[in-house]
Amino acid sequence: MTHLRPINQKAARIAQGMAEARHRAGAGNGRTGGGEDGRVVALQDSPAGPPQQEGPHIPLGCSFIFLPGWEADSNGGAAGLCQPVERDLFDCHLGCFWPAQVPDQLNHAPDWTGKCAAAQKDWRKVDLIFP
Amino acid sequence: MYFPFPVSLRRAPCVAALCGRFAAAVAVLSVVAAGAPAAAQDASSGAVLPDGGIPVTSDLVHRVCGTCHRADEQRRMSRISYQRTTPEGWQQTIRRMVLLNNLQIEPADAREAVRYLATNHGLAPDEARLGAFEVERRNIDFRYEADPQTQQTCNRCHSMGRVLNQRRTLEEWELLTAMHRGYYPLADVQGFISGDWLGGPGPEAEDGDDGRTAVERAVAHLAEVFPLDSAEWASWSANMRAPRLEGTWALVGFERGQGPVYGEVVVEANPAAPDELETRARYTYPARGVDVTRTGQALVYTGYQWRGRSTSPEHFSAREVMFVSRDRDEIAGRWFTGAYDERGIDVTLRRVGPEPTITGVYPSAVPAGAGEATLRLFGANLPDGLDAAAVDLGAGLTVTGVSDQSSTAATLQVTVAPDARVGSRDLFVGPAALTEAVTVYDEIHRLEVTPATGLARVGGVAFPKQYERFEARAWHDGPDGESGTDDDLDLGMLVDVDWSVEEYAVTFDDDDTAFVGTLGEHGVFEPAVDGPNPERSGERNNVGDVWVVATLATAPDGTALDRPLRARAHLLVTVPLYIRRGESGQ
Repeated sequence: MTHLRPINQKAARIAQGMAEARHRAGAGNGRTGGGEDGRVVALQDSPAGPPQQEGPHIPLGCSFIFLPGWEADSNGGAAGLCQPVERDLFDCHLGCFWPAQVPDQLNHAPDWTGKCAAAQKDWRKVDLIFP
Repeated sequence: MYFPFPVSLRRAPCVAALCGRFAAAVAVLSVVAAGAPAAAQDASSGAVLPDGGIPVTSDLVHRVCGTCHRADEQRRMSRISYQRTTPEGWQQTIRRMVLLNNLQIEPADAREAVRYLATNHGLAPDEARLGAFEVERRNIDFRYEADPQTQQTCNRCHSMGRVLNQRRTLEEWELLTAMHRGYYPLADVQGFISGDWLGGPGPEAEDGDDGRTAVERAVAHLAEVFPLDSAEWASWSANMRAPRLEGTWALVGFERGQGPVYGEVVVEANPAAPDELETRARYTYPARGVDVTRTGQALVYTGYQWRGRSTSPEHFSAREVMFVSRDRDEIAGRWFTGAYDERGIDVTLRRVGPEPTITGVYPSAVPAGAGEATLRLFGANLPDGLDAAAVDLGAGLTVTGVSDQSSTAATLQVTVAPDARVGSRDLFVGPAALTEAVTVYDEIHRLEVTPATGLARVGGVAFPKQYERFEARAWHDGPDGESGTDDDLDLGMLVDVDWSVEEYAVTFDDDDTAFVGTLGEHGVFEPAVDGPNPERSGERNNVGDVWVVATLATAPDGTALDRPLRARAHLLVTVPLYIRRGESGQ
């Protein structure tokens, strides 16, 4: 995160929360994510917990930063999924990033979001596709 | 053919232009065309030529596919002759040809082409076993032990089952990956070139970095272990024929959360086409007291792959995917339903001969101190006027009466001796036997909730729900007194546990239990609705992680336990799928 510059207020708050968490956890320990009120602190990132992947667990970004990513985060739970999922649908569709989960814009459903100006509001207008 | 697709791309106005063409092609890929001839099987059908490729002996396939797929002098068609797969695999190929390659094909022709190709360019039974979970639509945690790196490369986007059910030449495996790159350009960065696009150690790092990309290694592996020409296929295709399955079959099944299933299925074959079947089934769930009748149709591909659909006035409509044993004495698979195929019965059919057969007893466990117990015996050809003395349950269990008897079931009154030893008992009725039919126990030592990890998807507003079903089983520690060892005694499903949902502490203050859904009395979890929830922070969906907890306070015989037994399983309630490949949405 240190080499990324937040481009909106929420990202700025997250970056600030991460910095504070790192500060509290001591130098060199960046594994504990944290928000201002602790809502985004993931318990499975506790140093006493099971082995985790290196780097902070950030339960906020789009799901493509996790594996397997769509149904579950890298720890097998829902804490790290892109939420709400509707926020991610446009990117997933236009980028064809989840071809087994979201219709791809290139071939199977080029106009999938045609009636959907903003997925988070118009999510009822996207269709289930059976290719 | 069991795939009715009356409306494809349903609720997809953005692709309406494709709907008509596509629906016309596959709309009538329905169960068994009346009067359709059996798939042609001449002496050389399915044989791989010495220099590679399987000649296509079907004039219909040459007619409908030959515009693009050129045939050589030995009737080998490009692409088609160099791969083999399941009925579902061929169906998906034709759907893709219609949808993306402008194939114009009549529904009856599409159905017959799938039928021919799945039979003559299909899989041998031994080849289909590994990927059976894919066509049986089982939600399992599969690990491809032969090459985890290949699994990692393919699993980035889809189930490994799709891969396991393909047999191809090296060139065909390469062309398959080329198709992925063409349709899904991000495949390269998602796993084909680099093993880990997050920058961490990928498969190539573990492999000593031999210079090959992840997909090159996967193709080399797949071409070696899943080739077009195999000993299994050579053997099976030479021996293959339409099976003769007409007759009566004893049904033994199991549905998670509903318990064992016993009954019978009568199969009638089309005299002109013995691989086309009609079925009449009746069965019972003794744990729930539910009786079901069901009628259906099925088609048998490749001499052993049963694909059917059935309906029931009392129960769900089901798709049937089963496999016929080589000796035709057993048919096993899964009957399933649900928007995500999540509900199903594991079914085994055994051919009923002239002799009595015992298929099961319910309940399958009795407490040593019960004194008297009532058991329901299930089977086939049970002798009229069954005598209590003819039913042998072994030491400590004495059958004192038989009532409510038919040729397929009987009620047994059993006296349990106070000193009956703990352990399993075999059951004999004359020459018929059932091993480990009943277990005597003195105490329930632990509970187990299955599945250990469940998955549900929110839905019900714009997209369908995926339900999850849990079951609590009771266990005795066995003679060694240690829990979790091989000698533990399975005491069967419990019907009277209390179900509850508890917080799975992943994220502080997320209150998942208040949002994710409800758990019914039989362990059936119904997820909450889809869509952003304004009542949750960040308008999150109703997704989350919870514990599903089973609590047993009273033993099945009614006695209160000293302390309640508890067991739990993890449930992940997650987001919908917005695309369902190979499904009809019906």
